[in-house]
Amino acid sequence: MSLVDVRRLSPQAIVSALFRLRELGIFVALAATVLFFSIRADNFATVSNWQDIATDVSMVVVVAVGQTMVVLTRNIDLSVGSVVGLSAFVSSNTLAHHHDMPLIVIALIAMAIGLACGIGNGLLVAVGKVPAIIATLATLSIYRGILFEVTQGDFVFASQLPSNFLDFAAKTPAGLPNLAWIALAVALVGAAILRWASWARDFYAIGSNPDAARFAGIPVTRRVLTAFAISGTLAGLGGFMFAARFASVDAIAGRNFEFDVVTAVVIGGVNVFGGSGSVLGAVLGAVLVATIQNGFTLLRISEFWKIFFDGVAIVAAVTIDALITQRIQELLRRKRRAEIVGQERGAET
Amino acid sequence: MTAALGHVGHFAWRAVARWEALLVLLILAGGIWSWTLSDFFLQRANLLDLATPFIYIGLLAFGLTFVVIAGEIDISVCSTMAVAAVSFAQIWHAGVNVWLAALAALGVAAALGLANGLLVAGLNLPSLAVTLGTLAAFRGLAYVILGGSARSDFPLNFTNIGGGYIHNELPNALLVLFGFALVLGLLLHASRFGRYLYAIGSNREAARFSGIPVTRSRITIFVISGLMAGFAAIVYLGYFGSVQADAASGSELIDVVTAVVLGGVDIFGGSGSMVGVLLALILIAVLRNGMQLAEFGGATQDLVIGGLLLGAILAGNAIRAVQARGMPWTRSRARGKEVSNTDTQAAGVAVDRTLETRQGG
Repeated sequence: MSLVDVRRLSPQAIVSALFRLRELGIFVALAATVLFFSIRADNFATVSNWQDIATDVSMVVVVAVGQTMVVLTRNIDLSVGSVVGLSAFVSSNTLAHHHDMPLIVIALIAMAIGLACGIGNGLLVAVGKVPAIIATLATLSIYRGILFEVTQGDFVFASQLPSNFLDFAAKTPAGLPNLAWIALAVALVGAAILRWASWARDFYAIGSNPDAARFAGIPVTRRVLTAFAISGTLAGLGGFMFAARFASVDAIAGRNFEFDVVTAVVIGGVNVFGGSGSVLGAVLGAVLVATIQNGFTLLRISEFWKIFFDGVAIVAAVTIDALITQRIQELLRRKRRAEIVGQERGAET
Repeated sequence: MTAALGHVGHFAWRAVARWEALLVLLILAGGIWSWTLSDFFLQRANLLDLATPFIYIGLLAFGLTFVVIAGEIDISVCSTMAVAAVSFAQIWHAGVNVWLAALAALGVAAALGLANGLLVAGLNLPSLAVTLGTLAAFRGLAYVILGGSARSDFPLNFTNIGGGYIHNELPNALLVLFGFALVLGLLLHASRFGRYLYAIGSNREAARFSGIPVTRSRITIFVISGLMAGFAAIVYLGYFGSVQADAASGSELIDVVTAVVLGGVDIFGGSGSMVGVLLALILIAVLRNGMQLAEFGGATQDLVIGGLLLGAILAGNAIRAVQARGMPWTRSRARGKEVSNTDTQAAGVAVDRTLETRQGG
């Protein structure tokens, strides 16, 4: 019965239907998680707790939008944690010495630092042909090393920063924290770009088949460079948000942050083989991870289990995605065979 | 055809020989630099002891070499080592004989490697994503096993493996390193299994069609990698004399990957040698020692090592590009390498299609 229905659909329709299902799956998981913690943890279903979650998740969302673009091109950016730390320190240190600087300039400084780091990654991967995992593992160390050189053991703390900056993260216009508004804007713009900008559609083509993309005339080198530049810039913005959120930045700021981001992206159904995934999925993934971690904290489950959970979640999400992909391929193959058989029968009669 | 293959092999060998000669030169240069920083450097005791802090890094790198030559990656090795180390500490603390505890730790490490292998080769998942996940999961496991505390005061005859000396001068750990280099070098270069790995790393589909047990070999490399993490844990425990769940959670992974890649192992799989990895490890030890003498901070050292890692890959790519431009028959090979991943997939799909068309007809 279902096989007949499947045969009527075009391959594209099958694929997109299955990925809708994937996003729906995260959504159901999220709903179940919220329900579970609402019952089990007393303070979970309160406005202030949800504002906490929103603040927690917004940094991850901003950086995850950039990471999504990189992963779509069948690459990965592991250096984002170091970029967050570097841009957080330099921008907040600038502000600490120039109190009258407008915050937007501070944010732009942070993003410019991120952009430079992102271009560095992009050049290594797209031009130098260094595998992204190795290149960004190395720049993770290099950018962190630069941060140590820059800080010279110093750190920025709240009393050095002007009050308008300290208030920035605490304000909640229309019930949502400022940082969450930034995240929402970035996610919407990111989703719009990935949907409608032709150069961003190229990310999908490159991730699906880099060689086919090259033969189709897509400037692969430039596009991959662009994806890394965006990821770096958004990690820079994440650094600004980090400084605003914690108001104290030292040389280890943002360490291991890349894991939160990669977990969100992978759980959100962005395929690590590249070529499929969406900003909506990544955002849902980030919210799911943040909600579970928040619930863990409220239930007083040890910090150690959270680390374990992050890793297991990555493995589980990758496994599920791979099984879905294999299933799709099998469906398409069966469909193709049916078509061939049909044609041959047609030819016989 | 055979002649051409012979040429390729000859050419590859010459490239490797040059690479290893370059490593020796770099080690000598690093040594001279260190000597200008401190006269103490050239004393026999210091030279012998130079590599001791890096033996466990070397054992991890040896395990990873098998994985990378077969075209995969395992970035969970440091976390695996941490789990093995804390498992040993807890089991020994519970009153079990120290050697039985060490054996159990090796078993745990091999089991974690097996888990990686089954996920990668059994379910056909990308090793990068899997081991990125298990990097975090295993680290969490280490915390779950030992919590935030530390364990120390292990028996002396056990810690002697990683921290003891013969005649107060020759570190036992150095012998452990050379022993493993020899045994694993033989396994890699002189056994059928070792040759399988080069074939799988060069072209997995072709290896499968030549009758090589690809899945079993791919699972085995991750078990080897896990087992080596277990041995690394024993050396680590001996050298440091204590362990916490955050063992080797910093720049150690960069050192391990750098040793493998700087050692001339092709990050895309298919080529590399154990001697190269050993030399690269010694180079890292000399450089870190020198930077210590020059009073570089830890993060600055990591920056230099990270740069070295990138430099090694960029240099390898440049050499390959030059070779490709120089000789027409290496050009096709080099291009094949660059696209091999998708090529094999495309080939697989094409073959599937052909088979099905036949069955369908």
